Amino acid sequence: MSASVSAASPSPTSPTAPSTLDTLVQGTLTQLQVIHALALRETRTRFGAHQLGYVWALLEPLFWIGTFWGLFALAGREAPNGMPIVAFLATGVLPYEVAMKTADRCGNAVSGNRALLFYPQVQPVDLVLARGVLEGATYGAIFLVILGTEALVSQRFEIHDALLVAGGLGLGALFGTALGLVLCSLSVLSNVVERLKGPLFRPLFWMSGLFFTAESVPSNVRDVLLWNPILHCVELVRDGFFPSYTAHHVDVGYVLVWIVALAFVGLTLERVVRRKVEVT
Amino acid sequence: MIALDGVTKAYRTTSGEHVVLDRIDAVFPERVSVGILGRNGAGKSTLLRILGAAELPDEGTITRQGRVSWPIGFAGGFHGSLTGEENCRFVARIYDADLDEVVESTRAFADIGTYFSMPVRTYSSGMRARLAFGLSMAIDFDTYLVDEVTAVGDSKFQAKCRQAFAERQERSSVIIVSHQLKTIRDYCQRYAVLRRGQLHFFDDIAEAERAYEANP
Repeated sequence: MSASVSAASPSPTSPTAPSTLDTLVQGTLTQLQVIHALALRETRTRFGAHQLGYVWALLEPLFWIGTFWGLFALAGREAPNGMPIVAFLATGVLPYEVAMKTADRCGNAVSGNRALLFYPQVQPVDLVLARGVLEGATYGAIFLVILGTEALVSQRFEIHDALLVAGGLGLGALFGTALGLVLCSLSVLSNVVERLKGPLFRPLFWMSGLFFTAESVPSNVRDVLLWNPILHCVELVRDGFFPSYTAHHVDVGYVLVWIVALAFVGLTLERVVRRKVEVT
Repeated sequence: MIALDGVTKAYRTTSGEHVVLDRIDAVFPERVSVGILGRNGAGKSTLLRILGAAELPDEGTITRQGRVSWPIGFAGGFHGSLTGEENCRFVARIYDADLDEVVESTRAFADIGTYFSMPVRTYSSGMRARLAFGLSMAIDFDTYLVDEVTAVGDSKFQAKCRQAFAERQERSSVIIVSHQLKTIRDYCQRYAVLRRGQLHFFDDIAEAERAYEANP
Protein backbone atom coordinates (compact mmCIF):
# COMPACT_ATOMS: atom_id res chain seq x y z
CA MET A 1 0.00 0.00 0.00
CA SER A 2 2.68 2.43 -1.00
CA ALA A 3 0.34 5.10 -2.33
CA SER A 4 -1.91 5.01 0.68
CA VAL A 5 0.95 5.15 3.14
CA SER A 6 2.31 8.37 1.75
CA ALA A 7 -1.14 9.92 1.78
CA ALA A 8 -2.05 8.81 5.27
CA SER A 9 1.18 9.28 7.17
CA PRO A 10 1.56 12.49 9.14
CA SER A 11 3.01 15.36 7.20
CA PRO A 12 6.73 14.86 6.79
CA THR A 13 8.66 16.99 9.22
CA SER A 14 12.08 15.45 8.74
CA PRO A 15 13.77 16.15 5.43
CA THR A 16 15.23 12.64 5.21
CA ALA A 17 13.13 9.98 3.57
CA PRO A 18 11.73 7.47 6.06
CA SER A 19 13.39 4.07 6.12
CA THR A 20 11.69 1.05 4.65
CA LEU A 21 11.03 -0.27 8.15
CA ASP A 22 9.37 2.97 9.26
CA THR A 23 7.20 2.93 6.16
CA LEU A 24 6.24 -0.66 6.83
CA VAL A 25 5.39 -0.02 10.49
CA GLN A 26 3.47 3.16 9.67
CA GLY A 27 1.64 1.41 6.84
CA THR A 28 0.66 -1.53 9.05
CA LEU A 29 -0.62 0.80 11.78
CA THR A 30 -2.67 2.75 9.25
CA GLN A 31 -4.07 -0.45 7.81
CA LEU A 32 -5.07 -1.74 11.26
CA GLN A 33 -6.74 1.59 11.99
CA VAL A 34 -8.64 1.40 8.69
CA ILE A 35 -9.73 -2.20 9.28
CA HIS A 36 -10.88 -1.27 12.79
CA ALA A 37 -12.92 1.67 11.47
CA LEU A 38 -14.36 -0.46 8.67
CA ALA A 39 -15.30 -3.31 11.01
CA LEU A 40 -17.15 -0.89 13.30
CA ARG A 41 -18.89 0.63 10.32
CA GLU A 42 -19.82 -2.81 8.97
CA THR A 43 -21.28 -3.76 12.34
CA ARG A 44 -23.59 -0.80 12.05
CA THR A 45 -24.68 -1.54 8.48
CA ARG A 46 -24.93 -5.33 8.92
CA PHE A 47 -26.95 -5.30 12.13
CA GLY A 48 -28.29 -1.77 12.44
CA ALA A 49 -30.38 -1.69 9.29
CA HIS A 50 -33.21 -3.73 10.80
CA GLN A 51 -34.69 -3.89 14.20
CA LEU A 52 -33.62 -7.17 15.81
CA GLY A 53 -30.56 -7.12 13.56
CA TYR A 54 -28.61 -9.62 15.62
CA VAL A 55 -31.61 -11.95 15.82
CA TRP A 56 -31.58 -12.30 12.03
CA ALA A 57 -27.98 -13.50 12.18
CA LEU A 58 -29.09 -16.23 14.62
CA LEU A 59 -32.13 -17.25 12.64
CA GLU A 60 -30.49 -18.85 9.62
CA PRO A 61 -28.34 -21.36 11.51
CA LEU A 62 -31.27 -22.05 13.85
CA PHE A 63 -33.45 -22.72 10.83
CA TRP A 64 -31.05 -25.35 9.46
CA ILE A 65 -30.56 -26.93 12.87
CA GLY A 66 -34.34 -27.10 13.32
CA THR A 67 -34.89 -28.55 9.84
CA PHE A 68 -32.35 -31.34 10.28
CA TRP A 69 -33.57 -32.01 13.79
CA GLY A 70 -37.08 -32.51 12.40
CA LEU A 71 -35.80 -34.77 9.60
CA PHE A 72 -33.74 -36.86 12.02
CA ALA A 73 -36.79 -37.23 14.29
CA LEU A 74 -39.01 -38.25 11.35
CA ALA A 75 -36.49 -40.81 10.13
CA GLY A 76 -35.97 -42.08 13.66
CA ARG A 77 -32.23 -41.47 13.34
CA GLU A 78 -29.93 -40.46 16.14
CA ALA A 79 -26.68 -38.53 16.10
CA PRO A 80 -23.61 -40.77 15.82
CA ASN A 81 -21.32 -41.63 18.74
CA GLY A 82 -23.96 -40.69 21.32
CA MET A 83 -23.71 -36.98 20.60
CA PRO A 84 -26.74 -34.91 21.69
CA ILE A 85 -28.65 -34.14 18.50
CA VAL A 86 -28.80 -30.33 18.77
CA ALA A 87 -25.12 -30.03 19.64
CA PHE A 88 -24.25 -32.46 16.83
CA LEU A 89 -26.12 -30.35 14.27
CA ALA A 90 -24.89 -27.03 15.65
CA THR A 91 -21.24 -28.16 15.50
CA GLY A 92 -21.87 -29.01 11.83
CA VAL A 93 -23.91 -26.03 10.72
CA LEU A 94 -21.88 -23.29 12.41
CA PRO A 95 -18.37 -24.11 11.11
CA TYR A 96 -19.93 -24.48 7.65
CA GLU A 97 -21.75 -21.16 7.96
CA VAL A 98 -18.72 -19.28 9.26
CA ALA A 99 -16.71 -20.43 6.24
CA MET A 100 -19.31 -19.97 3.53
CA LYS A 101 -21.05 -16.84 4.84
CA THR A 102 -17.69 -15.18 5.33
CA ALA A 103 -16.69 -16.10 1.79
CA ASP A 104 -19.99 -14.74 0.48
CA ARG A 105 -19.88 -11.48 2.40
CA CYS A 106 -16.18 -10.93 1.72
CA GLY A 107 -16.89 -11.62 -1.94
CA ASN A 108 -19.33 -8.71 -1.98
CA ALA A 109 -17.08 -6.39 0.02
CA VAL A 110 -16.22 -4.09 -2.88
CA SER A 111 -19.67 -3.88 -4.43
CA GLY A 112 -21.13 -2.88 -1.06
CA ASN A 113 -18.44 -0.33 -0.20
CA ARG A 114 -17.31 1.17 -3.48
CA ALA A 115 -17.81 4.69 -2.15
CA LEU A 116 -15.21 4.14 0.56
CA LEU A 117 -12.44 3.48 -1.95
CA PHE A 118 -12.47 7.26 -2.36
CA TYR A 119 -10.21 7.39 0.66
CA PRO A 120 -6.69 6.48 -0.45
CA GLN A 121 -5.90 4.49 2.69
CA VAL A 122 -8.88 2.19 2.07
CA GLN A 123 -8.08 -0.61 -0.37
CA PRO A 124 -10.18 -3.59 -1.50
CA VAL A 125 -8.18 -5.93 0.73
CA ASP A 126 -9.11 -3.83 3.79
CA LEU A 127 -12.80 -4.09 2.93
CA VAL A 128 -12.44 -7.87 2.70
CA LEU A 129 -10.45 -8.23 5.93
CA ALA A 130 -12.88 -6.04 7.88
CA ARG A 131 -15.77 -8.25 6.79
CA GLY A 132 -13.74 -11.37 7.61
CA VAL A 133 -13.11 -10.09 11.14
CA LEU A 134 -16.75 -9.18 11.66
CA GLU A 135 -18.13 -12.47 10.30
CA GLY A 136 -15.65 -14.54 12.29
CA ALA A 137 -16.59 -12.71 15.49
CA THR A 138 -20.31 -12.94 14.70
CA TYR A 139 -20.28 -16.70 14.16
CA GLY A 140 -18.08 -17.22 17.20
CA ALA A 141 -20.71 -15.38 19.23
CA ILE A 142 -23.56 -17.32 17.61
CA PHE A 143 -21.75 -20.55 18.42
CA LEU A 144 -21.54 -19.57 22.08
CA VAL A 145 -25.20 -18.48 22.19
CA ILE A 146 -26.62 -21.61 20.55
CA LEU A 147 -24.46 -24.15 22.36
CA GLY A 148 -24.73 -22.19 25.61
CA THR A 149 -28.52 -22.31 25.33
CA GLU A 150 -28.37 -26.01 24.52
CA ALA A 151 -26.23 -26.60 27.59
CA LEU A 152 -28.67 -24.68 29.78
CA VAL A 153 -31.67 -26.58 28.45
CA SER A 154 -30.06 -30.02 28.65
CA GLN A 155 -28.26 -29.18 31.92
CA ARG A 156 -25.14 -30.73 30.50
CA PHE A 157 -22.00 -28.87 29.57
CA GLU A 158 -18.74 -30.49 28.75
CA ILE A 159 -16.35 -29.18 26.15
CA HIS A 160 -13.65 -31.76 25.65
CA ASP A 161 -11.01 -29.42 24.19
CA ALA A 162 -12.01 -25.77 23.76
CA LEU A 163 -8.85 -24.98 21.83
CA LEU A 164 -9.72 -27.46 19.08
CA VAL A 165 -13.22 -25.99 18.84
CA ALA A 166 -11.84 -22.47 18.52
CA GLY A 167 -9.24 -23.74 16.06
CA GLY A 168 -11.88 -25.34 13.84
CA LEU A 169 -14.02 -22.20 13.80
CA GLY A 170 -10.95 -20.01 13.28
CA LEU A 171 -9.75 -22.10 10.33
CA GLY A 172 -13.27 -21.88 8.89
CA ALA A 173 -13.23 -18.09 9.17
CA LEU A 174 -9.74 -17.85 7.63
CA PHE A 175 -10.71 -20.17 4.80
CA GLY A 176 -13.83 -18.07 4.17
CA THR A 177 -11.88 -14.82 4.19
CA ALA A 178 -9.21 -16.14 1.81
CA LEU A 179 -11.84 -17.56 -0.53
CA GLY A 180 -13.79 -14.29 -0.24
CA LEU A 181 -10.72 -12.29 -1.24
CA VAL A 182 -10.41 -14.34 -4.43
CA LEU A 183 -14.13 -14.01 -5.15
CA CYS A 184 -14.09 -10.28 -4.42
CA SER A 185 -11.19 -9.63 -6.80
CA LEU A 186 -12.74 -11.80 -9.50
CA SER A 187 -16.09 -10.03 -9.10
CA VAL A 188 -14.43 -6.73 -10.02
CA LEU A 189 -13.17 -8.29 -13.26
CA SER A 190 -16.40 -10.00 -14.25
CA ASN A 191 -19.94 -10.29 -12.99
CA VAL A 192 -20.02 -13.96 -14.02
CA VAL A 193 -18.57 -14.81 -10.60
CA GLU A 194 -21.64 -13.47 -8.85
CA ARG A 195 -23.89 -15.75 -10.89
CA LEU A 196 -21.70 -18.86 -10.63
CA LYS A 197 -21.08 -18.57 -6.90
CA GLY A 198 -24.44 -20.02 -5.86
CA PRO A 199 -24.53 -23.14 -8.05
CA LEU A 200 -20.80 -23.85 -7.52
CA PHE A 201 -20.89 -23.73 -3.75
CA ARG A 202 -24.29 -25.28 -3.10
CA PRO A 203 -22.98 -28.88 -3.19
CA LEU A 204 -20.66 -28.03 -0.28
CA PHE A 205 -23.71 -27.70 1.94
CA TRP A 206 -24.36 -31.43 1.51
CA MET A 207 -20.69 -32.43 1.62
CA SER A 208 -19.42 -30.67 4.73
CA GLY A 209 -20.63 -33.06 7.40
CA LEU A 210 -23.53 -30.98 8.63
CA PHE A 211 -25.59 -34.12 9.27
CA PHE A 212 -22.94 -36.86 9.19
CA THR A 213 -19.39 -37.40 10.36
CA ALA A 214 -16.39 -38.52 8.39
CA GLU A 215 -16.26 -41.63 10.59
CA SER A 216 -19.85 -42.64 9.80
CA VAL A 217 -19.63 -42.80 5.99
CA PRO A 218 -18.16 -45.64 3.90
CA SER A 219 -14.45 -45.27 3.29
CA ASN A 220 -14.75 -44.82 -0.50
CA VAL A 221 -17.20 -41.94 0.02
CA ARG A 222 -15.02 -40.51 2.79
CA ASP A 223 -11.96 -40.41 0.55
CA VAL A 224 -13.83 -38.13 -1.83
CA LEU A 225 -15.43 -35.97 0.86
CA LEU A 226 -12.12 -35.33 2.60
CA TRP A 227 -11.02 -33.17 -0.33
CA ASN A 228 -13.44 -30.58 1.06
CA PRO A 229 -11.55 -28.40 3.56
CA ILE A 230 -14.77 -27.34 5.33
CA LEU A 231 -15.39 -30.95 6.36
CA HIS A 232 -12.03 -30.86 8.14
CA CYS A 233 -13.10 -27.74 10.07
CA VAL A 234 -16.35 -29.42 11.10
CA GLU A 235 -14.50 -32.57 12.18
CA LEU A 236 -12.07 -30.50 14.20
CA VAL A 237 -14.86 -28.68 16.04
CA ARG A 238 -16.68 -31.96 16.81
CA ASP A 239 -13.49 -33.65 17.97
CA GLY A 240 -12.90 -30.76 20.34
CA PHE A 241 -16.48 -30.51 21.51
CA PHE A 242 -17.51 -34.11 22.19
CA PRO A 243 -15.49 -36.36 24.52
CA SER A 244 -17.11 -39.33 22.76
CA TYR A 245 -15.93 -38.39 19.26
CA THR A 246 -12.47 -38.64 17.78
CA ALA A 247 -11.89 -37.46 14.23
CA HIS A 248 -9.21 -39.77 12.88
CA HIS A 249 -9.12 -38.24 9.42
CA VAL A 250 -8.82 -34.55 10.19
CA ASP A 251 -5.79 -32.83 8.65
CA VAL A 252 -5.11 -29.28 9.83
CA GLY A 253 -2.17 -28.95 7.45
CA TYR A 254 -4.43 -29.66 4.49
CA VAL A 255 -6.79 -26.81 5.48
CA LEU A 256 -3.81 -24.49 6.01
CA VAL A 257 -2.51 -25.26 2.52
CA TRP A 258 -5.90 -24.24 1.13
CA ILE A 259 -5.89 -21.02 3.13
CA VAL A 260 -2.35 -20.05 2.13
CA ALA A 261 -2.95 -20.90 -1.53
CA LEU A 262 -6.22 -18.95 -1.68
CA ALA A 263 -4.68 -16.01 0.16
CA PHE A 264 -1.77 -15.98 -2.28
CA VAL A 265 -4.06 -16.02 -5.31
CA GLY A 266 -6.43 -13.51 -3.70
CA LEU A 267 -3.73 -11.01 -2.74
CA THR A 268 -2.17 -11.25 -6.20
CA LEU A 269 -5.52 -10.69 -7.89
CA GLU A 270 -6.28 -7.80 -5.55
CA ARG A 271 -3.11 -6.04 -6.75
CA VAL A 272 -4.27 -6.41 -10.33
CA VAL A 273 -7.79 -5.33 -9.54
CA ARG A 274 -6.84 -2.23 -7.52
CA ARG A 275 -6.19 -0.41 -10.77
CA LYS A 276 -9.44 -1.51 -12.27
CA VAL A 277 -11.98 -0.77 -9.57
CA GLU A 278 -14.11 2.09 -10.72
CA VAL A 279 -14.56 4.45 -7.82
CA THR A 280 -17.89 6.18 -8.03
CA MET B 1 3.12 19.50 -3.15
CA ILE B 2 1.92 17.07 -5.77
CA ALA B 3 4.02 16.19 -8.79
CA LEU B 4 2.83 14.21 -11.78
CA ASP B 5 5.26 12.47 -14.07
CA GLY B 6 3.94 11.02 -17.30
CA VAL B 7 0.54 10.21 -15.82
CA THR B 8 -1.74 8.37 -18.22
CA LYS B 9 -5.24 7.07 -17.60
CA ALA B 10 -7.55 5.41 -20.09
CA TYR B 11 -10.93 3.77 -19.75
CA ARG B 12 -12.18 0.94 -21.85
CA THR B 13 -15.52 1.68 -23.41
CA THR B 14 -17.64 -0.21 -25.90
CA SER B 15 -16.25 2.01 -28.66
CA GLY B 16 -12.62 1.29 -27.83
CA GLU B 17 -10.12 2.78 -25.46
CA HIS B 18 -10.76 6.32 -24.33
CA VAL B 19 -7.65 8.16 -23.14
CA VAL B 20 -8.65 10.63 -20.45
CA LEU B 21 -5.21 11.76 -19.28
CA ASP B 22 -2.38 11.59 -21.78
CA ARG B 23 1.16 11.59 -20.32
CA ILE B 24 0.65 14.59 -18.04
CA ASP B 25 3.69 16.15 -16.38
CA ALA B 26 2.78 18.80 -13.81
CA VAL B 27 3.74 20.19 -10.43
CA PHE B 28 1.26 21.61 -7.94
CA PRO B 29 3.50 23.53 -5.53
CA GLU B 30 2.89 23.98 -1.81
CA ARG B 31 0.52 26.72 -0.72
CA VAL B 32 -0.40 27.68 -4.27
CA SER B 33 -4.05 27.14 -5.08
CA VAL B 34 -4.78 25.98 -8.59
CA GLY B 35 -8.06 26.06 -10.46
CA ILE B 36 -8.50 23.57 -13.26
CA LEU B 37 -11.02 24.33 -15.97
CA GLY B 38 -12.46 21.67 -18.19
CA ARG B 39 -15.63 20.93 -20.07
CA ASN B 40 -17.96 18.15 -19.00
CA GLY B 41 -16.23 14.89 -19.76
CA ALA B 42 -12.77 16.40 -20.10
CA GLY B 43 -11.52 14.19 -17.25
CA LYS B 44 -11.59 16.67 -14.37
CA SER B 45 -12.99 14.25 -11.82
CA THR B 46 -10.67 11.50 -13.01
CA LEU B 47 -7.69 13.82 -12.57
CA LEU B 48 -8.85 14.69 -9.07
CA ARG B 49 -9.32 11.03 -8.10
CA ILE B 50 -5.81 10.29 -9.35
CA LEU B 51 -4.34 13.27 -7.48
CA GLY B 52 -6.02 11.99 -4.33
CA ALA B 53 -4.87 8.38 -4.90
CA ALA B 54 -8.44 7.13 -4.98
CA GLU B 55 -7.51 5.66 -8.35
CA LEU B 56 -4.15 4.65 -9.70
CA PRO B 57 -2.88 5.82 -13.09
CA ASP B 58 -2.23 3.29 -15.85
CA GLU B 59 1.24 4.71 -16.32
CA GLY B 60 3.41 7.35 -14.70
CA THR B 61 4.11 8.26 -11.11
CA ILE B 62 2.69 10.72 -8.61
CA THR B 63 4.68 12.17 -5.72
CA ARG B 64 2.84 13.71 -2.80
CA GLN B 65 4.23 15.69 0.10
CA GLY B 66 1.99 16.49 3.02
CA ARG B 67 -1.52 15.30 3.63
CA VAL B 68 -3.79 15.33 0.61
CA SER B 69 -7.55 15.19 1.08
CA TRP B 70 -9.88 12.79 -0.67
CA PRO B 71 -11.72 14.35 -3.65
CA ILE B 72 -14.41 16.46 -2.01
CA GLY B 73 -17.57 16.54 -4.06
CA PHE B 74 -21.12 15.29 -4.39
CA ALA B 75 -20.35 11.66 -4.99
CA GLY B 76 -18.57 9.04 -3.00
CA GLY B 77 -17.08 8.80 0.43
CA PHE B 78 -20.32 8.45 2.34
CA HIS B 79 -22.28 5.35 3.14
CA GLY B 80 -25.97 5.94 2.49
CA SER B 81 -27.35 3.92 5.38
CA LEU B 82 -25.13 5.57 7.98
CA THR B 83 -25.99 8.95 9.46
CA GLY B 84 -23.94 12.04 8.78
CA GLU B 85 -22.43 11.76 12.23
CA GLU B 86 -21.51 8.09 11.80
CA ASN B 87 -19.86 8.87 8.49
CA CYS B 88 -17.84 11.60 10.21
CA ARG B 89 -16.71 9.17 12.88
CA PHE B 90 -15.58 6.71 10.25
CA VAL B 91 -13.54 9.30 8.38
CA ALA B 92 -12.07 10.69 11.61
CA ARG B 93 -10.96 7.16 12.51
CA ILE B 94 -9.20 6.43 9.25
CA TYR B 95 -7.42 9.81 9.36
CA ASP B 96 -6.48 9.30 13.01
CA ALA B 97 -8.22 12.51 14.08
CA ASP B 98 -10.08 13.28 17.32
CA LEU B 99 -13.59 11.84 16.90
CA ASP B 100 -15.57 14.30 18.99
CA GLU B 101 -13.73 17.32 17.65
CA VAL B 102 -14.35 16.28 14.06
CA VAL B 103 -18.02 15.55 14.70
CA GLU B 104 -18.67 18.85 16.46
CA SER B 105 -16.76 20.96 13.99
CA THR B 106 -18.49 19.27 11.02
CA ARG B 107 -21.90 19.68 12.65
CA ALA B 108 -21.25 23.40 13.04
CA PHE B 109 -19.86 23.92 9.56
CA ALA B 110 -22.31 21.82 7.55
CA ASP B 111 -25.24 23.44 9.36
CA ILE B 112 -27.78 20.87 8.18
CA GLY B 113 -29.69 20.67 11.46
CA THR B 114 -31.34 17.40 12.44
CA TYR B 115 -30.31 15.82 9.13
CA PHE B 116 -26.90 15.37 10.72
CA SER B 117 -28.25 12.40 12.66
CA MET B 118 -30.22 10.95 9.74
CA PRO B 119 -28.99 8.48 7.07
CA VAL B 120 -27.02 10.18 4.32
CA ARG B 121 -29.23 8.63 1.65
CA THR B 122 -32.01 11.01 2.75
CA TYR B 123 -29.81 14.02 1.94
CA SER B 124 -30.12 16.28 -1.07
CA SER B 125 -26.95 16.65 -3.11
CA GLY B 126 -26.45 20.09 -1.60
CA MET B 127 -26.55 18.65 1.92
CA ARG B 128 -24.09 15.91 0.96
CA ALA B 129 -21.72 18.54 -0.37
CA ARG B 130 -22.08 20.59 2.83
CA LEU B 131 -21.31 17.54 4.92
CA ALA B 132 -18.33 16.60 2.74
CA PHE B 133 -16.95 20.10 2.81
CA GLY B 134 -17.45 20.58 6.54
CA LEU B 135 -15.86 17.21 7.26
CA SER B 136 -12.80 17.92 5.13
CA MET B 137 -12.37 21.25 6.92
CA ALA B 138 -12.48 19.46 10.28
CA ILE B 139 -9.45 17.38 9.36
CA ASP B 140 -6.22 19.24 8.65
CA PHE B 141 -4.97 18.70 5.14
CA ASP B 142 -2.11 20.41 3.35
CA THR B 143 -3.85 20.11 0.02
CA TYR B 144 -7.60 20.06 -0.49
CA LEU B 145 -8.99 18.50 -3.66
CA VAL B 146 -12.34 20.01 -4.48
CA ASP B 147 -14.76 18.93 -7.20
CA GLU B 148 -17.09 21.87 -7.96
CA VAL B 149 -18.44 21.55 -4.48
CA THR B 150 -18.10 25.19 -3.55
CA ALA B 151 -20.54 26.10 -6.28
CA VAL B 152 -23.39 24.57 -4.32
CA GLY B 153 -25.39 26.03 -1.51
CA ASP B 154 -26.66 29.50 -0.92
CA SER B 155 -24.46 32.58 -0.92
CA LYS B 156 -24.07 32.30 2.85
CA PHE B 157 -22.56 28.82 2.57
CA GLN B 158 -20.33 29.91 -0.29
CA ALA B 159 -19.07 32.83 1.78
CA LYS B 160 -18.35 30.39 4.61
CA CYS B 161 -16.29 28.17 2.30
CA ARG B 162 -14.28 31.13 1.03
CA GLN B 163 -13.64 32.29 4.57
CA ALA B 164 -12.55 28.83 5.68
CA PHE B 165 -9.98 28.65 2.90
CA ALA B 166 -8.82 32.23 3.45
CA GLU B 167 -8.13 31.37 7.08
CA ARG B 168 -5.90 28.44 6.22
CA GLN B 169 -4.20 29.88 3.17
CA GLU B 170 -0.95 30.12 5.16
CA ARG B 171 -0.70 26.37 5.57
CA SER B 172 -2.97 24.75 2.99
CA SER B 173 -3.70 25.02 -0.68
CA VAL B 174 -6.63 23.90 -2.74
CA ILE B 175 -6.92 22.31 -6.16
CA ILE B 176 -10.37 22.97 -7.58
CA VAL B 177 -11.79 21.54 -10.78
CA SER B 178 -14.75 23.24 -12.40
CA HIS B 179 -16.34 24.02 -15.71
CA GLN B 180 -17.05 27.58 -14.55
CA LEU B 181 -14.54 30.36 -14.42
CA LYS B 182 -16.26 32.21 -11.62
CA THR B 183 -16.01 29.24 -9.25
CA ILE B 184 -12.23 29.15 -9.33
CA ARG B 185 -11.59 32.89 -9.55
CA ASP B 186 -12.09 33.50 -5.84
CA TYR B 187 -9.83 30.71 -4.66
CA CYS B 188 -6.86 30.35 -6.92
CA GLN B 189 -3.53 31.95 -7.79
CA ARG B 190 -2.82 29.71 -10.77
CA TYR B 191 -5.07 28.30 -13.42
CA ALA B 192 -5.01 25.34 -15.73
CA VAL B 193 -7.11 24.08 -18.58
CA LEU B 194 -7.65 20.36 -19.10
CA ARG B 195 -8.34 19.53 -22.70
CA ARG B 196 -7.82 16.40 -24.79
CA GLY B 197 -5.86 14.72 -22.04
CA GLN B 198 -3.44 17.63 -21.64
CA LEU B 199 -3.06 20.11 -18.81
CA HIS B 200 -2.00 23.68 -19.70
CA PHE B 201 -1.05 26.11 -16.93
CA PHE B 202 -1.61 29.89 -16.82
CA ASP B 203 -0.64 32.55 -14.29
CA ASP B 204 -3.22 34.96 -15.57
CA ILE B 205 -6.91 34.23 -15.44
CA ALA B 206 -7.63 36.17 -18.63
CA GLU B 207 -5.22 33.92 -20.55
CA ALA B 208 -6.79 30.85 -19.02
CA GLU B 209 -10.19 32.13 -20.03
CA ARG B 210 -9.06 32.69 -23.62
CA ALA B 211 -7.61 29.19 -23.82
CA TYR B 212 -10.71 27.70 -22.25
CA GLU B 213 -13.16 29.55 -24.48
CA ALA B 214 -11.17 28.90 -27.66
CA ASN B 215 -12.65 26.18 -29.83
CA PRO B 216 -11.06 22.82 -29.13
